[in-house]
Amino acid sequence: MTIKNKTNKEQISSQVEKPGCIFPDVLSNFTKFGKKGKLNNICSYGGHMKQETNNRVPMFEDIPENASNIRLGHLANTKKKNAYRQEAILGVLFAMPAILGFIIFTLGPMLASLILSFTDYAVFNKLKFVGFENYINLFNGDNPFFYKSILVTFYYVALSVPLGLTFHFFLAVLMNRKIKFRGIYRAVFYLPTILPIAATCTVWMWLFNPDFGLLNYLLGFLGIPKLMWIGSEAGVVPSIVLTAVWIAGNTMVTFLAGLQDIPRQMLEAVDVDGGNAFHKLRHITIPMVSSTIFFNFIMGIINGFQVIVQPMMMTAGGPNNSSLFYGMFLYKEAFEFSRMGSACAIAWVLFIIIMIFTGLTFKSSPMWVYYEGEVKGK
Amino acid sequence: MKSRFMEKISIAQVLTYILLTVGGIIFLTPFYWMFRSSLMDQGQIFEMPPIWLPNPIRIDNFKEALTIMPFNRFFFNTAVIVVFATAGVVLTSSITAFSFARMRWPGRDKVFICLLSGMMLPQYATLIPTFLGWKFLGAVGTNLPLIIPSWFGGGAFYIFLLRQFYMAIPKELDEAAYVDGAGYFRIFVQIILPLTKPAIVVVILFSFLHYWNDFLAPVIYLNDVSKYTLTLGLALFSGMYNAQWNLMMAASAVVAIPAIIVFLFGQKYFVEGISITGLKG
Amino acid sequence: MKKAIKILSLMLIVSFVFGTVFVGCGSTNKEPVKADASTKDAAAKKEPVTLKFTYWGSPIEKKAVEDCVKKFQEKNSYITVDGMYIPSADYLTKITAMIAGNDAPDLGYMDVSLAFKMAEEGKLCNINDFLAKDSELKKEDYLDNIWYNWAPGKSLGTNSACESITLLYNADMIKAAGVETPPTKAENAWDWDKFVEIARKLTIDSNGKNALDPAFDYKNIKQYGVQFPTTWQYYMPLVYSNGGDYVNDDGSKLTLSSKEATDAIQNLADLVNKYHVAPSPVQQRSMPAPSVGLQSKQVAMILAGQWNLLDLGAAKLNFGVGVLPKLKKSVTLVLGSPTVIFSGGRHPEEAWLLYKWLQNPESSIDLQAGGLWMPLMKDWYTKPELISKWAENNPSHPEGYKDAIMKQTIEKGVSGPAYYVKGFSEIDAIIAPALEQVWLGNKTAEQAIKEVEPKVQEKLKGRYDNKKQN
Repeated sequence: MTIKNKTNKEQISSQVEKPGCIFPDVLSNFTKFGKKGKLNNICSYGGHMKQETNNRVPMFEDIPENASNIRLGHLANTKKKNAYRQEAILGVLFAMPAILGFIIFTLGPMLASLILSFTDYAVFNKLKFVGFENYINLFNGDNPFFYKSILVTFYYVALSVPLGLTFHFFLAVLMNRKIKFRGIYRAVFYLPTILPIAATCTVWMWLFNPDFGLLNYLLGFLGIPKLMWIGSEAGVVPSIVLTAVWIAGNTMVTFLAGLQDIPRQMLEAVDVDGGNAFHKLRHITIPMVSSTIFFNFIMGIINGFQVIVQPMMMTAGGPNNSSLFYGMFLYKEAFEFSRMGSACAIAWVLFIIIMIFTGLTFKSSPMWVYYEGEVKGK
Repeated sequence: MKSRFMEKISIAQVLTYILLTVGGIIFLTPFYWMFRSSLMDQGQIFEMPPIWLPNPIRIDNFKEALTIMPFNRFFFNTAVIVVFATAGVVLTSSITAFSFARMRWPGRDKVFICLLSGMMLPQYATLIPTFLGWKFLGAVGTNLPLIIPSWFGGGAFYIFLLRQFYMAIPKELDEAAYVDGAGYFRIFVQIILPLTKPAIVVVILFSFLHYWNDFLAPVIYLNDVSKYTLTLGLALFSGMYNAQWNLMMAASAVVAIPAIIVFLFGQKYFVEGISITGLKG
Repeated sequence: MKKAIKILSLMLIVSFVFGTVFVGCGSTNKEPVKADASTKDAAAKKEPVTLKFTYWGSPIEKKAVEDCVKKFQEKNSYITVDGMYIPSADYLTKITAMIAGNDAPDLGYMDVSLAFKMAEEGKLCNINDFLAKDSELKKEDYLDNIWYNWAPGKSLGTNSACESITLLYNADMIKAAGVETPPTKAENAWDWDKFVEIARKLTIDSNGKNALDPAFDYKNIKQYGVQFPTTWQYYMPLVYSNGGDYVNDDGSKLTLSSKEATDAIQNLADLVNKYHVAPSPVQQRSMPAPSVGLQSKQVAMILAGQWNLLDLGAAKLNFGVGVLPKLKKSVTLVLGSPTVIFSGGRHPEEAWLLYKWLQNPESSIDLQAGGLWMPLMKDWYTKPELISKWAENNPSHPEGYKDAIMKQTIEKGVSGPAYYVKGFSEIDAIIAPALEQVWLGNKTAEQAIKEVEPKVQEKLKGRYDNKKQN
């Protein structure tokens, strides 16, 4: 049997033309090959899972062969080669929109800003190259805002990413339960994300009011003295983290979608074996959504380092620059002080910081991210 | 044994309801606050301690708000952008992500990192060069700069998201189809897409909300008020020195309604059974 | 692997080309278009001309500007004005992008600091040149303290409208507390102690006790005596009143650290932290705009821009105006933001026509009479028949307005630091956060400013030649 067996192909296409045939098709494939495959292993949850994950970290060199064994083991070598080439050509073709999009819309402006970071570009002046001056002025402490804004931003990321992930993960788990009015509940928790951000920020400023705000009112019941929230240098970043977590409903929705990938049988297997909710979470849910956790973590870092809108609306950087986020610093430099060249340098410093964190996360991912259907590239 | 099992579930259920209801009330406060503000006059909104029930109820705010902001026109403008952009995002990001997740080609992972890196440079640094690019193409003042990029992969965010979901699908599924002689495109359309409906819904939802609430790009690329989107319309209510909060809240509430409806429809797809599990169980 | 490198390098090359094209078209196209010839032709033949004009503003302002522009087009039928309204929050971003794209408007509202920088780079027209050629207007027709001169004889323009800082109050609340009405004449201006005393009488806690009462509970204030935003627009009038200034005469030294200046700032901060008669910046964040606070009786007096008259007049509130309290002498601060004509436009003559039209109080009379703007021309402050067109017989201009604001602005108005301190936005970006500690009561004004003085000193670049009238 060859891969491009014509009759087979026609068969499939004729099947497809019948409406409603996609599912049965998938179904038959699934039952044919899936049953004796991994699902059965996973269903006897626990130790296996871990083992599977570990097995999933093969040496880089042997992957192509591994993969080809599974896929094309029964083919002659030349055909294998052809199939490879075909896969590669199609793969690049499929990815072409994104590659083109990146080259056209992203790479050019990125390189332009990199070049500008070595100039004194101010939008309306004659451009002059200044070497590393923009970068040196940042690191030698001449700029009164640089180190401050880096500290503030790191603090924010360190708080908001773990908090946001945990909160929305558990929210998603709750939202995935069989409850009445589930849609309404989900909408309610997603509402802050939907509403225009100006509206949500206004509400939070009211909640944070030290005298009349709801938060201090509630704390009063617990006998906790009034907090200054966004009014104090110590409280302002945690307060903004609170609002950031509140409007990060997208994290919840991503988790919710990720949770749909967990076969119910696996969870039931835990029940049968007498496992409790914690076991389910630890051995099934978390590993199975680890790819979503990975996604949310990376995006949390990328977006967290660039946060700008809420602090701009709520504190404008105050008090005493204690909420002067890196993105705001950049914005001011670029548009209020019209030093676009320096702003580009500021941006590229952040780029490198984010790149390092993202890179480390990617490097660590084989240890904790589990992909059921990972196909390694070569 | 069985009754104890049931009991456990019901306690868990009750706890869930309590948690969700309390949390829900907290999360609902801003919406309620916004809504009641939209029915008040300027002075009442900020009164402390807060007024919970507006009295008198000023429905006229809505009328006034929607007069200042030509709602129908802005709605139409926004809808055009949202529909075309979201279509572009879904169609191109899904096939691209498929390639990055389940096909092998040289340099794939490096290219992917390149794509991701596009999100790591703050947009204010690339704003001017990007603007100049569109200017060069003569597209400033039209909604093309807002729509066209979505047809080129839709942005690394969506590709990354879908890639994660695609990678979570057991390999056996497409291998089987592959052995049966199906091509990659067919595998993508017939197996991968149906299995990742929730993820596709997430992409639609996020993309909808993104373009619906986007502010910076429209403000930069649209020159003519008659081409403005709803979010820009909201900015009409705040001047240099003052803002008409009650009208702005009324308009915000109206602007949020379509988004809420889209979410309510979309979230129905977050049900076990659409995804892989349902096929087997 | 080789393929990967090939692909990557190809991508690099292509994008590099794009990058340079982008940068290139940003920098090369900057040569101003030779304007003279074409405009003379246009004027002679009255060929159709299109002007691009950018502005921001509230809905009312937007409508007024639209009407104003429409009338202009009716009068000059060969000119089409492409009026571009830009939300104020992103005006700077958008205008920067337009300038970068060599797509600057012919004329438009502008941020002060950016305008000065652009003017120094030769990107803005010298309005004096237009005035010298103009047969209808002379520079002397304008108020003196609204000009932005970036060098001797070179002016990038005037304010879009004249504004000043004043004291506004809710007349019913003053009456209810049984205190004196704030004076409207400069010579009667309250001194600081008097002002504090009145403010204390007007501050009332939830038990109904005022701030002079020993049992006054400052943690539960229901009604504040006075409210003021904590930005330079509001502390600088007091600094001037105390004989202080932002920088010295040649702009080489920060004088905001002098005793006159820090005392004035400290006085304001004491209203918040010592006397508890004014809300702190934190409390203000969840309070309405000051003019709304007056309406909702959260605050009895506000130190505010005169533009608030529009809202107060529209709200039909029983309000009054007074002169600011004084420390040594009675002054007010004049402020605004400039309208500029960009150089390199094709039709500078027509741009000037529109510029004049926008400056003419007659053509935007609704905004003048409505209370948002004040006229830029001297005659409108002195000639009764012109004054009656805007400052009388309307709800936005109550009794006493002519003394407390109109006269005060032309006689005692001082142009704010934005007019004359070079690189002001950057300097304020250092000063403002430092002062936040003062408003919160963590530091004295002297401490806070002395701390940042060395940093500010580095940023000082001198002073623009702008008349500081007093």
